Amino acid sequence: MRRDSDTPSSVPFPRRRLLHLGALLAAVAVAVSFPSMAPSPYEITVGIAILNYAVLSTSWNFVGGFTGYISLGHGAFAGLGAYATGLLVAKGELPPFAALFVAAALVAVLAVPVGYAALRVRGASFVIVSIALVLVLLLVFQSWASFTGGSRGLVVPRPFPGMLRAEHHRTFYFLFLALLATALLVWWLIDRSRFGMGLKAIREDEDKAQSLGTPTYTYKLVVFVVSAAFTALAGGLYALWFGDLDPVFQFSILSGAYMVLMALLGGVRRLYGPLLGAVAVGYALEYAKVEYGDTPLHLVVAGLLLGVVVTFMPDGVIPAAAALLGRFRDTGRTSIREVTAAELRGRREQSDGKEVRDGERRGRGA
Amino acid sequence: MPSASLVFQSVVLGVLLGGLYALLAAGLTLYFGVMRVVMIAHSAFLILAAYLAWYAHRETGIDPLLTLFVTVPLFFAAGVAMQRLLLTRLRPATLTMMSVLLTFSVALVIEGLLGYAFSGTQRRIRLGYSSASIEFFGARVAVVKLIAFGMAALALLGLYVLMKHSRFGQALRATIQHREAAQLLGIDTDRIAGYGFGLGLATAAVGGTALSLDTTIYPSLHWHWIGPLMAIIVVGGLGSVPGAAIAAMTLGMLQSLLQLELSTTWAQTVFYVALFATLAVRPQGFFGGRLAQRF
Repeated sequence: MRRDSDTPSSVPFPRRRLLHLGALLAAVAVAVSFPSMAPSPYEITVGIAILNYAVLSTSWNFVGGFTGYISLGHGAFAGLGAYATGLLVAKGELPPFAALFVAAALVAVLAVPVGYAALRVRGASFVIVSIALVLVLLLVFQSWASFTGGSRGLVVPRPFPGMLRAEHHRTFYFLFLALLATALLVWWLIDRSRFGMGLKAIREDEDKAQSLGTPTYTYKLVVFVVSAAFTALAGGLYALWFGDLDPVFQFSILSGAYMVLMALLGGVRRLYGPLLGAVAVGYALEYAKVEYGDTPLHLVVAGLLLGVVVTFMPDGVIPAAAALLGRFRDTGRTSIREVTAAELRGRREQSDGKEVRDGERRGRGA
Repeated sequence: MPSASLVFQSVVLGVLLGGLYALLAAGLTLYFGVMRVVMIAHSAFLILAAYLAWYAHRETGIDPLLTLFVTVPLFFAAGVAMQRLLLTRLRPATLTMMSVLLTFSVALVIEGLLGYAFSGTQRRIRLGYSSASIEFFGARVAVVKLIAFGMAALALLGLYVLMKHSRFGQALRATIQHREAAQLLGIDTDRIAGYGFGLGLATAAVGGTALSLDTTIYPSLHWHWIGPLMAIIVVGGLGSVPGAAIAAMTLGMLQSLLQLELSTTWAQTVFYVALFATLAVRPQGFFGGRLAQRF
């Protein structure tokens, strides 16, 4: 009885697509023109920070969104990418952007054994491993001071020595934007592919996916490595932009938690979910830093926000809001008959089964 | 090569440390058993209890051990409330993953509030017997460490007796083993699960008080505890109390022995090495049974 395809309120497919395209173009236009509209370089740095968060949470979403494996330790890959880039530039004398890609490749290689250990187990143990990764790397990078600079930090030489500060920020804004676009594109491609379908099958029911012949372990490992590589690129780019690394901030469990928070807030099943979450949370974080300084209360706020999202909107704010809107919209998708049972019985007595459908349609129109 | 007496001293210290690890890991195992929940906030509550002991001592001068009479019931109630009000709200299908995030957020809130209330300054309780130590076959052991170990051992023993020799313990173990079957036998598994959670949190109260006796505390200290504790329960096999206890003793002793040769921070990596090695070789842990297979 349900007729999903010809519901009156649904927009015809091509028009809907145009709408999407228009929104996308508008978003790109805003993002590209932002640096020239920003009143001071400070706003551009806020933009860079938000873009950095967006790349990180989109990269996180390769694992979290597709497979449903929630990693709290993705900050480790960002930190590794940042340190690898920094060390390759500072000690390896590599050109900055070559170092960036070499670093991402190194992190991807390192993600293979990590993923090998972490993905053999499901659920709880996976999260434990991801947290442990951050904690152990923090210990190593703090203790191994002769190589990493330890708690004194590591200074990364600037990639464009002659450039003025404002110009430096502007350049990196566009670099981060390009990286974000690449990450989104790859996510979109995987989303539409057979590979993506297999990953989503893992998310819905790993045992069934496996029994239907999906190579679940290989798929998980591949997407884990892809995710780690993008996270490392974001971390490396951050290192080149910011120029100063401290293990406490690079291998912070909090940065991993922010990625999860942003992605969950926006909705992990959507392409733009993590991006929207990053804009909201990233802006709030930067605002709080300026207004209230660095008090421990930002931990409380982050914790409360994460708790609320996890408890009440595990699918994200956007799907939750859409569902709320959907309640007030007449979708026409209902099996409720607008006739009383007595009327229906009367009709049924009059006609055979085929004509009942017609009568019902009339009944709904009235 | 360190001398034999130094090694012996390390072994003794390792055992004392392992006792505390074992108690806390038993708490984590309880949560996992009753709810299939990995409780990241366990060590945050541990530090909270330590702060409460320190605060009570600073304000009134009472012995930190006396705060146990307040913190243990308080934490038990908090655990029951947390299970009933927060964790049961999560969808069963994604409970394990989402509960990690939820308890993680609780940990962040506790850390933030501790930092706000007491600042990030490092705190330490100074007691009359803080510097006292006794000779034990040539090893010098601080009295406070012995007290901490004694508390942990007593609490573990109490937990064991409760689990094995009381009706409540039987019901709790039945709930852990097979929830539906326990329900069929007339056990109110929801209530039992709540109490199980409360018991787990009570171990954090005991552990925190023990910790406050001889450790410098600060709000973000809990990250240094949760990692080793997580490693212990995975190595021991999720859901296995004896496994957790054995893993706690072994790894605690290894850490203590490694400190002879390496710095403290490097010695702590032994937990993570053990964790990764376990997952690569035997993902269900070394003592885990049926439960650990799927998690």
